[in-house]
Amino acid sequence: MHSSLKGPGGSTKMWWRTSAVLAIGVLTLAACNGDSGAGGTDEEPTDAATSDTASSEGGGAEGAAEIRFSWWGSDERHTVTQEVIDLFMEKNPDITVVPDYTDWGGYWDKLATTVAGGDTPDVMTQEERYLTDYANRGVTADLAALGVDTSMVDASVLDSGTIDGELAGVATGVNAYTIVADPQMFEEAGVEWPDDTTWTWEDFMNIATEISDALGDGVYGVQDFGGNEAGFNIYARQQGESLYAEDGSLGYSDETLEEWYQMLVDLRESGAMPDGARSVEIAEGGPEQSLLGTNSGAMGFWWSNQLGAISSAAGRDLELLRVPGESSGERTGMYYKPAMFYSIAADSEYPDAAAAFVDFLINDPDAGALILSDRGLNANTEVRDSVSGMLDPLEVQASEFLGALSTEIVDGPPAPPTGAADVPEIAGRINEQLLFDTVSPADAAAQFTSEANAAIGQ
Amino acid sequence: MSVVTELGKKKKGPSAYRKGDAKAAAFFLAPWFVGLFLITIGPMAASAYLSFTDYSLLEAPNWIGFENYTRMFEDPRLLNALKVTFLYVFISVPLQLAAALALALVLDRGLRGLAIYRSVYYLPSLLGGSVAIALLWRQVFGADGLVNGFLGLFGIQGEGWVSHPDYALGTLMILNVWTFGAPMIIFLAGLRQIPQMYYEAASIDGAGKWRQFTSVTLPLLTPIIFFNLVLQVINAFQTFTQAYVVSGGTGGPADSTMFYTLYLYQKGFASLDMGYASAMAWLLLAIVAGMTAVNFLASKYWVFYND
Repeated sequence: MHSSLKGPGGSTKMWWRTSAVLAIGVLTLAACNGDSGAGGTDEEPTDAATSDTASSEGGGAEGAAEIRFSWWGSDERHTVTQEVIDLFMEKNPDITVVPDYTDWGGYWDKLATTVAGGDTPDVMTQEERYLTDYANRGVTADLAALGVDTSMVDASVLDSGTIDGELAGVATGVNAYTIVADPQMFEEAGVEWPDDTTWTWEDFMNIATEISDALGDGVYGVQDFGGNEAGFNIYARQQGESLYAEDGSLGYSDETLEEWYQMLVDLRESGAMPDGARSVEIAEGGPEQSLLGTNSGAMGFWWSNQLGAISSAAGRDLELLRVPGESSGERTGMYYKPAMFYSIAADSEYPDAAAAFVDFLINDPDAGALILSDRGLNANTEVRDSVSGMLDPLEVQASEFLGALSTEIVDGPPAPPTGAADVPEIAGRINEQLLFDTVSPADAAAQFTSEANAAIGQ
Repeated sequence: MSVVTELGKKKKGPSAYRKGDAKAAAFFLAPWFVGLFLITIGPMAASAYLSFTDYSLLEAPNWIGFENYTRMFEDPRLLNALKVTFLYVFISVPLQLAAALALALVLDRGLRGLAIYRSVYYLPSLLGGSVAIALLWRQVFGADGLVNGFLGLFGIQGEGWVSHPDYALGTLMILNVWTFGAPMIIFLAGLRQIPQMYYEAASIDGAGKWRQFTSVTLPLLTPIIFFNLVLQVINAFQTFTQAYVVSGGTGGPADSTMFYTLYLYQKGFASLDMGYASAMAWLLLAIVAGMTAVNFLASKYWVFYND
C-alpha cells in the first residue's frame, strides 16, 4: 500500500489525494493491508503496481502504448477477458493492455482509491448507479469525441450512457431483473407452472407459500428479495411511479414502498421465505449459496445474465419468468438495464489506444464470440446476430426471453442521479432491519425515503 | 554503531568522534524520519486539512469549516457505530485479559513442555487478525456451522449466529477473547518477576493459594495488567478486519457489527465522503487518547509499583 507513494515532487493536488488516502490508512486501517488487493488468480502476469513503473518508463517510444483495463467479476469472466485482451494485443502489437480485476465487492473501493491517487485505469468497467457519479466529477472522457464507433449499438441502450450530452460510457449489453425459477421444484411440490404473462403479485405469493408448505422443512418458495432496489423499482413502475423521477428526485410514494415491504414481511411470516438470519446468510453467498443454487428453493429474483451461473450451481436447468403484475398494474414495470459500461479515463495518457480497445470490445465479432452474453445480451446488434449460433441453451433462453420483452417494455427508467451509488447499501441495510422485525414496513419506507433523499442530495 | 565509534576513536580526537557519531546517528535515523514524515506526519496533516473539506476523492476538496464535525452529532449511524465499538471494547477486553491471566497462571506452574503450550496458546493471536480466521469464524458460527453442530448433539436448534443482529457482535467478541496470546506472554513474563520469597513468607503466615494470589500475585502484577489494558483497549478500538470480513463489508446484519473504523471506511471509500471520514478519524483519535488518559489517571488508584 505504501510503496506507491508519490512524494511532494508531483502535483500538489495529487499529493494531497495520495496523502489523504494514506492518512486514513495510517490512522485506522494499518491492519488491513493484505485483504483489499485483487482477489485474483495466479495466472495474472503483472499487477497494477509494476505496470505503473513500466508505463512511466516506457512511455517515450513512438506509437507504443500501455493501457490498463479494470473490471469486476467471477473467475470465469477473468479468464475470458484475458483471452479477449490477448486477441486485441495480437491484432494491435503496439498496444499493451494490462488487466486489473477484482470481485464486485472490492471493485468500487479500489476504483475510487486509484482515481483519487491520480491513477485512473485507462479503460474501466462502470455500472449505471456509479457512472453518473464518476461522469459528473469529470473522471470519464466523452467516447464520441474520441471516435469510438457506436453506430451498431442499439440507440435506446446507447442513451443510457449519455450524461449531460457526453457519452460517458458505452453499454456492453442489456439484461433484465426478473425471476429465476426451478421447474423441478414446482413439479415436486405439485404446483402448476404459472403463466408469467398474466400472474399477479397475489398469485406469486400464493404459489411461493404453496411450495413451501408442500416441500416442508428447509425448502422455501422464494429467496428474500427486499435488498435489491431494482425489484421495488419494477413494482413502482407497474403503478405508474418509479424509484427515481426524471428530475433526479425520488419518484414513488411512501405508501407504495410500504406495500412492498409489507409483502416481504407477509412472505416471511407465511414461511414462503426463510427467516431473517438464514436470509442474511444466503444473501451473502451469491449465486452459489442461493436457495436455487442449493436446490432448497423454487424461485429467486436475479439479473437475467445470472441464469447460467445459478443453473450450474443448481446442477439443473432453471427458467426465467416475468416479474408478477406486469399485466395487472397500470403499465408494465420491467425494463432493460445496461449490464455494464466501458468508460475511458479523461486523463488517460493514451486516449487513442484506449478508444481503439473499447472499439474492439464492442464491435469486433471475434471479441464478441469470446464474451458471448457474459456482459449481458450484446448491445451491438450486429455482433449479437453473429454470435447467436454460438450460445449455449441457457444463453439462448435468456436471449429469447429478453427479445420477447421488447414489445412489452414501455420505457427505460431515468439514469440514477448523483449519489445513487449509496442507495444499494441503504436498501440492503433497511431490508435487514425488516427481516428481524426491528422496524415496521411503514417505518422502513419512511427511513428509506429519508436516507435515499440525503444520499442524492434532495 | 560500535564499529563506527571504534574507528572514530582510533583516528581522531574526542570532539571529532562526537561529530562523526552525530552524523552516523543522523544517517541511521534518516529512514525512520523519512517514514515518519511521509507516511505518518504528512498524511495526518493532510487528513486534518481534509476533515474541514467536502473531499469526494474524485474532485478537489472545498473548504467547509466545521461542517463535518457538526454533522457527526446528527448522524444516528455514527452514534450506533460508537455504541457497537464501546460495547465491544468494554466487554471483550476485560474478558480477554482475564483469559490471558488465567492461562498464564496455569502455564507458570513449571509444566513440562511449557514452550510448546506457550506457542499453542499464542497461535490464535498470530492468526486472529487475519482474513482467513475471520472467514473461518463465519463458517464456525454459521447456521450450519460447527457451533450449531455441537448444540445439535444436545437437541438444541441454534441460530445463524453471525447473521443475527442480536448475536453477531457476540461472535466477534469471542474472536477477540480467543486471541489472548499477546497479553498472556506478557503476563507470563510478569509472573516470573515476582520474587519467590514473597510466596514463602505468605505460606509461612498460613496463606492459602487463593490468598497468595489476591495478596501477592495480583498487587505485584498490577503494572503488567495496566500495560496490557492500555494496549488492548487501543487495539480493540481499531478493530476492522474481523468485522469487515465476518459481515461481508457491510457491518450487518442491520448495522449490528458496524464498528467505528468500518463505518469510517464505508463513508470514505463507498460513499465517497472522504472529508467526513477524515473528521471521523480525528474523533477516533480523540476518543482513544481520551480513553488512554482516563486509564492513566485511574491507574494511580489501583496500580502498585513495588519500588
